[in-house]
Amino acid sequence: MRRPGGAAGARIRALLAKELADLRANPSVFVPAIVTGLLALLLPFFVAVIVPAVTGERLSDSSDFQLALEVYRDQPGLRGLGAEAAVQAWIFQQFLILLVITPVAASMSVAAYSVIGEKQARTLEPLLATPITTLELLTAKVAGSLLPALALSFVSFALYVGGALAFAEAGVYRALLTARSLLVVFLLGPLAALAALQMAVCVSSRVNDARSAQQIGALIILPVAGLLIAQVTGSLLLTGEMILLIGLGLALLNGGLLVLGIALFDRESILTRWK
Amino acid sequence: MLTASHLTRRFDDRVAVQDVSFEVAPGEIFALLGPNGAGKTTTLRMLAGLIEPSAGAVRVAGEPMTRRTASRLRGSIGFLTEAPGLWDRLSVRQNLRVYAQLHGLQEGDRAVDEALDVFDLRAREREPAAQLSKGLRQRVALARALLHRPSIVLLDEPTSGLDPESAREVRDLILRLREQRRAILLCTHNLDEVERVADRVAVLRSRLVASDRPAALRARLFGARLRVTLATAAAPFVPVLTRAGVPDVRADGRMLSIGVDDAAERAPEIVRLLVNAGAAIQAVTPEQPPLEEVYLRLLSESPA
Repeated sequence: MRRPGGAAGARIRALLAKELADLRANPSVFVPAIVTGLLALLLPFFVAVIVPAVTGERLSDSSDFQLALEVYRDQPGLRGLGAEAAVQAWIFQQFLILLVITPVAASMSVAAYSVIGEKQARTLEPLLATPITTLELLTAKVAGSLLPALALSFVSFALYVGGALAFAEAGVYRALLTARSLLVVFLLGPLAALAALQMAVCVSSRVNDARSAQQIGALIILPVAGLLIAQVTGSLLLTGEMILLIGLGLALLNGGLLVLGIALFDRESILTRWK
Repeated sequence: MLTASHLTRRFDDRVAVQDVSFEVAPGEIFALLGPNGAGKTTTLRMLAGLIEPSAGAVRVAGEPMTRRTASRLRGSIGFLTEAPGLWDRLSVRQNLRVYAQLHGLQEGDRAVDEALDVFDLRAREREPAAQLSKGLRQRVALARALLHRPSIVLLDEPTSGLDPESAREVRDLILRLREQRRAILLCTHNLDEVERVADRVAVLRSRLVASDRPAALRARLFGARLRVTLATAAAPFVPVLTRAGVPDVRADGRMLSIGVDDAAERAPEIVRLLVNAGAAIQAVTPEQPPLEEVYLRLLSESPA
């Protein structure tokens, strides 16, 4: 009657499938993340495409964007861009950092809902009475929050590139397909989202309302916003090496948070203190 | 099958369960009674491998429940928790299917189908759990607890909040589980239910106040008594019995209540004495105070 091997994997998959089914039945949990994603998407188009079109002034004529022109003169593959296209490419690349916030926001709202929702519905006790281990449970919970968040983030990125292809100057979209841009979306985004949701899970195991968990998870947004401001003001230029270094730091942070999460998420506290 | 040995559980300075020992055998229904806060749920959680005892041990089929073995041993235990704890947005079938997978059932869908049939849930299988009545939710929770055919079944208030018909169905199911040789621990406030199904009863108030068969507890607390119903007033026959060396006789209307060492052994002699004295006997039955009286007496005699 029982399946012999791979029991842990089967349990994780079972709970992950449940998490995804639960989310499909409650899509409203994604609303904050979708709003964040839309803002991240629309803001650069507003600045780089809509404002110049409405005012009739070219961005490249403004002395504020000289930095952009200098930067793009140095980038191989983008040197062929005209002045206006170079400024647009610079804007689209800077605002790409905002797309990192999309999976962070999505994973936080899902994770806080996922753990605290179980708490409030008193569904954890029967779940913990099965052979599932704490690590398996946390893995499924984290994956159940991370996967939809990443899917949303990648869809946002595809729309971003598609939008640049359709509405920006010719060739601007290529600035979004450089190694640096791809590292931001496919390395920093997932790692930042993972860190945020692990923080949310850690906090969820100690508090009773989703908002507290989301607020702590939001701490990860602050450094991301700081990066954006530093880039836009020209005080920092995120190179590929710097992105890799930040990625390494986030990976280490994630490792620490995993250990902390398992320590905090102990069955005894959940069962005896969760009311 | 399931053994609790000197189980103690402290929460900071508070002792929730102290030095509790008992065994539940296959094919036995063991009822755990006690007032609110007596440590029943904590005991169940220790037995289910959800929380560790501060001292003492739990054994499942002789194997100690430890951090290393708990995950595996939980697979042989079915635990009906106090709250049904269903995932409201998932359908009945989805709820059961997840648990079939968590228990690693190879033919999970078949097990779910069987459970839907056994618990008469087939017509509701696609409904979200949120739409079910309280009774149906409890039925789904029971189906979930028994899906993997556990040899040990822990039931925390299984008929709480159910209408009489549903409660009876649950009781019948518990009796069927006993026929299947499962070891069943029943935790409840419903003494009538215990009276109907339990083989043995334990009364808990942090410590184990008493543990035995209901009849043995009655005999221990109230002694064995015979109740003789007569066609006429009973009072005139009291001296007949006292003169014959039966000292503890009470008359109430047409009823005689007689304290005896052994009801089965003394009944023929008492009937003969009464008949010889001209009594018209309508019925002779062993007198059984309700379990509620036994329970309340036990609690009143134990320190709070």
